[in-house]
Amino acid sequence: MTQRASGPADRATYVFAVARTLDPAVVADLDGMTAGEPVRLLPLGSLVGVVQSVPAHDFTDDAWQQRLSDPQDLERCARSHNEVVSASAAHGPAVPLPLATLYLSDARARQALEAEADRFHAVLKRIAHHAEWGVKVYSPPASPPAGAHRPAAAADRGRPAPGAGLAYLERKRGLQLRREQHHEQGLRIAEEVDAALAKLATAARRLRPHSHRPSDTQGSQVLNATYLVAEQRSHEFAELTRALRGRTGASIEISGPWVPYSFVSEV
Amino acid sequence: MTREPVPWDTPGPLSGPIGVPLVDLLDRVLATGVVVSGDLVIAIADVPLVRVSLHALLSSVSERVPAPWPDGGPL
Repeated sequence: MTQRASGPADRATYVFAVARTLDPAVVADLDGMTAGEPVRLLPLGSLVGVVQSVPAHDFTDDAWQQRLSDPQDLERCARSHNEVVSASAAHGPAVPLPLATLYLSDARARQALEAEADRFHAVLKRIAHHAEWGVKVYSPPASPPAGAHRPAAAADRGRPAPGAGLAYLERKRGLQLRREQHHEQGLRIAEEVDAALAKLATAARRLRPHSHRPSDTQGSQVLNATYLVAEQRSHEFAELTRALRGRTGASIEISGPWVPYSFVSEV
Repeated sequence: MTREPVPWDTPGPLSGPIGVPLVDLLDRVLATGVVVSGDLVIAIADVPLVRVSLHALLSSVSERVPAPWPDGGPL
Protein backbone atom coordinates (compact mmCIF):
# COMPACT_ATOMS: atom_id res chain seq x y z
CA MET A 1 0.00 0.00 0.00
CA THR A 2 1.37 3.36 -0.96
CA GLN A 3 0.96 5.77 1.90
CA ARG A 4 0.74 9.43 1.13
CA ALA A 5 1.96 11.70 3.87
CA SER A 6 -0.95 14.07 3.65
CA GLY A 7 -3.17 14.63 0.71
CA PRO A 8 -6.77 14.50 -0.35
CA ALA A 9 -6.67 10.72 -0.30
CA ASP A 10 -6.32 10.67 3.46
CA ARG A 11 -9.67 12.32 3.86
CA ALA A 12 -13.02 11.31 2.57
CA THR A 13 -16.19 13.35 2.66
CA TYR A 14 -19.10 11.79 4.49
CA VAL A 15 -22.51 13.21 3.61
CA PHE A 16 -25.36 13.07 6.11
CA ALA A 17 -28.13 15.11 4.55
CA VAL A 18 -29.01 17.79 2.05
CA ALA A 19 -31.17 20.82 2.82
CA ARG A 20 -32.12 24.12 1.25
CA THR A 21 -30.52 26.29 3.87
CA LEU A 22 -29.14 25.57 7.27
CA ASP A 23 -27.60 27.44 10.17
CA PRO A 24 -24.07 26.02 10.57
CA ALA A 25 -24.41 26.34 14.34
CA VAL A 26 -27.12 23.66 14.34
CA VAL A 27 -24.68 20.89 13.46
CA ALA A 28 -21.36 22.41 14.53
CA ASP A 29 -21.38 20.88 17.99
CA LEU A 30 -22.18 17.37 16.93
CA ASP A 31 -19.55 14.64 16.86
CA GLY A 32 -20.77 13.04 13.69
CA MET A 33 -19.01 9.90 12.56
CA THR A 34 -15.62 10.72 13.97
CA ALA A 35 -14.78 12.96 16.86
CA GLY A 36 -12.34 15.80 16.25
CA GLU A 37 -13.60 16.83 12.85
CA PRO A 38 -16.38 19.39 12.68
CA VAL A 39 -19.66 18.60 11.02
CA ARG A 40 -19.91 21.39 8.49
CA LEU A 41 -21.94 22.64 5.57
CA LEU A 42 -20.93 22.20 1.96
CA PRO A 43 -22.60 24.70 -0.39
CA LEU A 44 -24.14 22.96 -3.41
CA GLY A 45 -25.50 25.75 -5.53
CA SER A 46 -29.09 26.19 -4.42
CA LEU A 47 -28.68 23.54 -1.75
CA VAL A 48 -26.37 22.81 1.12
CA GLY A 49 -24.95 19.47 2.17
CA VAL A 50 -24.24 18.46 5.75
CA VAL A 51 -20.84 16.81 5.59
CA GLN A 52 -17.84 15.80 7.62
CA SER A 53 -14.29 15.00 6.65
CA VAL A 54 -13.40 11.55 7.86
CA PRO A 55 -10.15 9.60 7.71
CA ALA A 56 -10.40 7.53 4.56
CA HIS A 57 -8.69 4.51 6.07
CA ASP A 58 -11.43 4.24 8.70
CA PHE A 59 -14.12 4.17 6.09
CA THR A 60 -12.97 1.71 3.48
CA ASP A 61 -15.35 -1.07 2.62
CA ASP A 62 -13.30 -3.50 4.70
CA ALA A 63 -13.72 -1.20 7.68
CA TRP A 64 -17.45 -1.06 7.02
CA GLN A 65 -17.75 -4.81 6.73
CA GLN A 66 -16.13 -5.11 10.10
CA ARG A 67 -18.32 -2.39 11.52
CA LEU A 68 -21.48 -4.02 10.28
CA SER A 69 -20.64 -7.22 12.05
CA ASP A 70 -19.98 -5.47 15.33
CA PRO A 71 -23.37 -4.58 16.80
CA GLN A 72 -21.98 -1.95 19.15
CA ASP A 73 -20.03 -0.17 16.49
CA LEU A 74 -22.93 -0.39 14.09
CA GLU A 75 -25.24 1.07 16.70
CA ARG A 76 -22.84 3.93 17.38
CA CYS A 77 -22.61 4.72 13.67
CA ALA A 78 -26.33 4.48 13.10
CA ARG A 79 -27.07 6.74 16.06
CA SER A 80 -24.41 9.28 15.10
CA HIS A 81 -25.75 9.38 11.59
CA ASN A 82 -29.31 9.79 12.78
CA GLU A 83 -28.28 12.45 15.29
CA VAL A 84 -26.80 14.67 12.59
CA VAL A 85 -29.69 14.00 10.22
CA SER A 86 -32.26 14.82 12.90
CA ALA A 87 -30.45 18.01 13.87
CA SER A 88 -30.30 19.06 10.22
CA ALA A 89 -34.01 18.51 9.83
CA ALA A 90 -35.02 20.22 13.05
CA HIS A 91 -35.58 23.64 11.50
CA GLY A 92 -36.74 22.78 8.03
CA PRO A 93 -36.87 19.87 5.65
CA ALA A 94 -33.68 17.94 5.05
CA VAL A 95 -33.18 14.94 2.83
CA PRO A 96 -31.41 12.14 4.67
CA LEU A 97 -28.82 10.08 2.86
CA PRO A 98 -28.28 6.47 3.83
CA LEU A 99 -25.59 5.50 6.27
CA ALA A 100 -22.12 5.57 4.74
CA THR A 101 -22.55 7.81 1.76
CA LEU A 102 -18.95 8.77 1.13
CA TYR A 103 -17.08 10.72 -1.47
CA LEU A 104 -13.39 10.94 -2.08
CA SER A 105 -13.36 14.69 -1.65
CA ASP A 106 -15.58 17.74 -1.23
CA ALA A 107 -15.27 18.39 -4.95
CA ARG A 108 -16.52 14.89 -5.79
CA ALA A 109 -19.38 15.24 -3.33
CA ARG A 110 -20.39 18.56 -4.81
CA GLN A 111 -20.23 17.19 -8.31
CA ALA A 112 -22.41 14.15 -7.52
CA LEU A 113 -24.93 15.95 -5.33
CA GLU A 114 -25.35 18.98 -7.57
CA ALA A 115 -26.16 16.68 -10.45
CA GLU A 116 -29.17 15.50 -8.44
CA ALA A 117 -30.33 18.96 -7.41
CA ASP A 118 -33.70 18.66 -9.17
CA ARG A 119 -34.44 15.45 -7.36
CA PHE A 120 -33.45 16.95 -4.03
CA HIS A 121 -35.74 19.91 -4.59
CA ALA A 122 -38.64 17.63 -5.46
CA VAL A 123 -38.06 15.54 -2.36
CA LEU A 124 -37.73 18.60 -0.14
CA LYS A 125 -41.04 19.85 -1.44
CA ARG A 126 -42.66 16.53 -0.71
CA ILE A 127 -41.42 16.10 2.83
CA ALA A 128 -41.79 19.69 3.97
CA HIS A 129 -43.91 19.80 7.13
CA HIS A 130 -44.11 16.05 7.23
CA ALA A 131 -42.68 13.46 9.56
CA GLU A 132 -42.38 9.73 9.31
CA TRP A 133 -44.07 7.45 11.84
CA GLY A 134 -43.25 3.80 12.13
CA VAL A 135 -45.98 1.36 13.09
CA LYS A 136 -45.48 -2.23 14.06
CA VAL A 137 -48.34 -4.59 14.74
CA TYR A 138 -47.98 -7.79 16.71
CA SER A 139 -50.76 -10.31 16.52
CA PRO A 140 -52.25 -11.03 19.94
CA PRO A 141 -50.98 -14.26 21.48
CA ALA A 142 -53.10 -17.27 20.56
CA SER A 143 -55.85 -17.79 23.06
CA PRO A 144 -55.72 -21.17 24.76
CA PRO A 145 -58.29 -23.50 23.24
CA ALA A 146 -61.34 -22.99 25.37
CA GLY A 147 -63.19 -26.23 25.97
CA ALA A 148 -61.87 -27.64 22.73
CA HIS A 149 -59.07 -29.36 24.53
CA ARG A 150 -60.54 -32.20 26.55
CA PRO A 151 -57.96 -33.30 29.06
CA ALA A 152 -57.54 -37.00 28.79
CA ALA A 153 -58.50 -38.55 32.06
CA ALA A 154 -55.58 -40.16 33.78
CA ALA A 155 -57.66 -43.28 34.28
CA ASP A 156 -57.72 -43.79 30.52
CA ARG A 157 -54.00 -44.40 30.47
CA GLY A 158 -53.03 -47.75 29.10
CA ARG A 159 -56.60 -48.65 28.23
CA PRO A 160 -57.49 -46.57 25.21
CA ALA A 161 -61.18 -46.03 24.95
CA PRO A 162 -62.76 -46.93 21.66
CA GLY A 163 -62.33 -44.05 19.23
CA ALA A 164 -59.33 -42.60 21.07
CA GLY A 165 -57.28 -42.53 17.88
CA LEU A 166 -59.96 -40.64 16.05
CA ALA A 167 -60.29 -38.16 18.90
CA TYR A 168 -56.54 -37.63 18.83
CA LEU A 169 -56.57 -36.91 15.12
CA GLU A 170 -59.45 -34.51 15.51
CA ARG A 171 -57.67 -32.74 18.28
CA LYS A 172 -54.60 -32.39 16.10
CA ARG A 173 -56.67 -31.13 13.21
CA GLY A 174 -58.41 -28.62 15.46
CA LEU A 175 -55.05 -27.34 16.66
CA GLN A 176 -53.82 -26.87 13.13
CA LEU A 177 -57.05 -25.13 12.14
CA ARG A 178 -56.85 -22.78 15.09
CA ARG A 179 -53.27 -21.94 14.24
CA GLU A 180 -54.26 -21.09 10.69
CA GLN A 181 -57.19 -19.03 11.83
CA HIS A 182 -54.99 -17.18 14.25
CA HIS A 183 -52.49 -16.43 11.53
CA GLU A 184 -55.21 -15.24 9.18
CA GLN A 185 -56.70 -13.10 11.87
CA GLY A 186 -53.31 -11.51 12.43
CA LEU A 187 -52.99 -10.69 8.77
CA ARG A 188 -56.52 -9.29 8.71
CA ILE A 189 -55.70 -7.02 11.61
CA ALA A 190 -52.54 -5.90 9.82
CA GLU A 191 -54.56 -5.01 6.73
CA GLU A 192 -57.15 -3.18 8.77
CA VAL A 193 -54.57 -1.13 10.64
CA ASP A 194 -52.63 -0.36 7.49
CA ALA A 195 -55.74 0.71 5.58
CA ALA A 196 -56.93 2.98 8.38
CA LEU A 197 -53.55 4.63 8.91
CA ALA A 198 -52.79 4.97 5.21
CA LYS A 199 -55.97 6.99 4.79
CA LEU A 200 -54.67 9.56 7.24
CA ALA A 201 -51.15 9.58 5.89
CA THR A 202 -49.76 11.32 2.85
CA ALA A 203 -47.90 8.19 1.85
CA ALA A 204 -47.35 4.72 3.25
CA ARG A 205 -44.72 2.07 2.87
CA ARG A 206 -44.37 -1.47 4.10
CA LEU A 207 -41.03 -2.46 5.50
CA ARG A 208 -39.95 -6.02 5.92
CA PRO A 209 -41.37 -7.49 9.12
CA HIS A 210 -38.73 -8.39 11.67
CA SER A 211 -38.26 -12.04 12.16
CA HIS A 212 -39.74 -13.63 15.21
CA ARG A 213 -37.38 -14.45 18.01
CA PRO A 214 -38.33 -17.09 20.55
CA SER A 215 -37.62 -14.64 23.36
CA ASP A 216 -40.30 -12.27 22.12
CA THR A 217 -43.30 -12.19 24.33
CA GLN A 218 -45.28 -10.05 21.98
CA GLY A 219 -46.34 -12.59 19.45
CA SER A 220 -45.29 -12.44 15.85
CA GLN A 221 -44.98 -9.22 13.95
CA VAL A 222 -47.65 -9.01 11.30
CA LEU A 223 -47.04 -5.48 10.09
CA ASN A 224 -43.97 -3.28 9.91
CA ALA A 225 -45.10 -0.21 8.06
CA THR A 226 -44.17 3.42 7.98
CA TYR A 227 -46.23 6.48 7.15
CA LEU A 228 -45.53 9.97 5.96
CA VAL A 229 -47.77 12.15 8.07
CA ALA A 230 -48.36 15.88 7.84
CA GLU A 231 -47.25 17.70 10.98
CA GLN A 232 -50.69 18.98 11.80
CA ARG A 233 -52.13 15.47 11.58
CA SER A 234 -49.63 13.72 13.81
CA HIS A 235 -52.00 14.07 16.74
CA GLU A 236 -54.80 12.48 14.82
CA PHE A 237 -52.42 9.73 13.83
CA ALA A 238 -51.52 8.90 17.42
CA GLU A 239 -55.18 9.07 18.34
CA LEU A 240 -56.14 6.68 15.57
CA THR A 241 -53.42 4.25 16.60
CA ARG A 242 -54.84 4.18 20.10
CA ALA A 243 -58.33 3.58 18.75
CA LEU A 244 -57.07 0.74 16.57
CA ARG A 245 -55.28 -0.79 19.51
CA GLY A 246 -58.56 -0.90 21.38
CA ARG A 247 -60.60 -2.11 18.45
CA THR A 248 -58.35 -4.93 17.26
CA GLY A 249 -56.82 -6.06 20.54
CA ALA A 250 -53.47 -6.32 18.80
CA SER A 251 -50.38 -4.76 20.24
CA ILE A 252 -49.48 -1.77 18.09
CA GLU A 253 -46.15 -0.05 18.54
CA ILE A 254 -45.56 3.38 17.15
CA SER A 255 -42.21 5.09 16.70
CA GLY A 256 -41.42 8.57 15.56
CA PRO A 257 -41.39 11.27 14.53
CA TRP A 258 -38.59 10.32 12.17
CA VAL A 259 -36.92 12.37 9.52
CA PRO A 260 -38.73 10.90 6.48
CA TYR A 261 -36.01 8.42 5.60
CA SER A 262 -38.41 6.06 3.91
CA PHE A 263 -40.08 8.61 1.69
CA VAL A 264 -37.25 10.29 -0.09
CA SER A 265 -36.21 7.74 -2.65
CA GLU A 266 -39.37 7.51 -4.74
CA VAL A 267 -39.47 10.99 -6.19
CA MET B 1 -53.10 17.77 35.21
CA THR B 2 -53.13 15.06 32.63
CA ARG B 3 -50.43 15.72 30.16
CA GLU B 4 -50.63 14.97 26.49
CA PRO B 5 -49.73 11.33 25.92
CA VAL B 6 -46.74 10.89 23.65
CA PRO B 7 -45.93 7.86 21.56
CA TRP B 8 -42.88 6.92 23.58
CA ASP B 9 -45.14 6.39 26.57
CA THR B 10 -45.95 3.03 25.07
CA PRO B 11 -44.20 0.11 26.73
CA GLY B 12 -42.03 -0.42 23.68
CA PRO B 13 -38.31 -0.94 24.03
CA LEU B 14 -36.43 2.22 24.77
CA SER B 15 -32.78 1.61 24.23
CA GLY B 16 -29.78 3.83 23.89
CA PRO B 17 -29.22 7.46 24.53
CA ILE B 18 -31.65 8.83 21.99
CA GLY B 19 -34.52 6.58 22.96
CA VAL B 20 -34.99 5.17 19.51
CA PRO B 21 -35.16 1.38 19.14
CA LEU B 22 -32.06 0.33 17.26
CA VAL B 23 -33.93 -2.05 15.02
CA ASP B 24 -36.20 0.75 13.80
CA LEU B 25 -33.21 2.98 13.34
CA LEU B 26 -31.41 0.40 11.22
CA ASP B 27 -34.55 -0.12 9.17
CA ARG B 28 -34.17 3.48 8.15
CA VAL B 29 -30.54 4.53 8.10
CA LEU B 30 -29.39 1.41 6.30
CA ALA B 31 -32.13 0.71 3.86
CA THR B 32 -33.53 4.12 2.99
CA GLY B 33 -32.53 7.65 2.19
CA VAL B 34 -31.69 9.26 -1.10
CA VAL B 35 -29.04 7.19 -2.79
CA VAL B 36 -26.80 9.35 -4.93
CA SER B 37 -24.14 7.41 -6.76
CA GLY B 38 -21.73 7.68 -3.91
CA ASP B 39 -18.12 6.78 -4.07
CA LEU B 40 -19.02 4.31 -1.37
CA VAL B 41 -22.49 3.32 -0.29
CA ILE B 42 -23.03 0.39 1.94
CA ALA B 43 -26.25 -1.39 2.54
CA ILE B 44 -27.22 -4.61 4.17
CA ALA B 45 -30.08 -7.06 3.86
CA ASP B 46 -31.15 -7.67 0.28
CA VAL B 47 -29.09 -4.89 -1.22
CA PRO B 48 -25.49 -5.45 -2.21
CA LEU B 49 -23.23 -5.14 0.78
CA VAL B 50 -20.71 -2.74 -0.55
CA ARG B 51 -20.75 -0.92 -3.82
CA VAL B 52 -18.06 1.35 -5.11
CA SER B 53 -19.48 3.38 -7.89
CA LEU B 54 -18.04 3.34 -11.35
CA HIS B 55 -17.83 7.13 -11.24
CA ALA B 56 -15.41 6.90 -8.38
CA LEU B 57 -13.27 4.35 -10.09
CA LEU B 58 -13.18 6.34 -13.30
CA SER B 59 -12.26 9.54 -11.58
CA SER B 60 -9.77 7.87 -9.31
CA VAL B 61 -7.83 6.66 -12.30
CA SER B 62 -6.66 10.17 -12.93
CA GLU B 63 -3.91 11.54 -10.73
CA ARG B 64 -6.33 14.29 -9.73
CA VAL B 65 -7.96 12.02 -7.20
CA PRO B 66 -5.66 9.27 -6.00
CA ALA B 67 -7.57 6.21 -4.86
CA PRO B 68 -7.53 5.76 -1.11
CA TRP B 69 -7.94 2.02 -1.54
CA PRO B 70 -4.87 0.23 -2.82
CA ASP B 71 -6.77 -2.35 -4.84
CA GLY B 72 -9.52 -0.05 -6.04
CA GLY B 73 -12.20 -1.67 -3.90
CA PRO B 74 -14.14 -4.86 -4.50
CA LEU B 75 -15.02 -4.25 -8.13
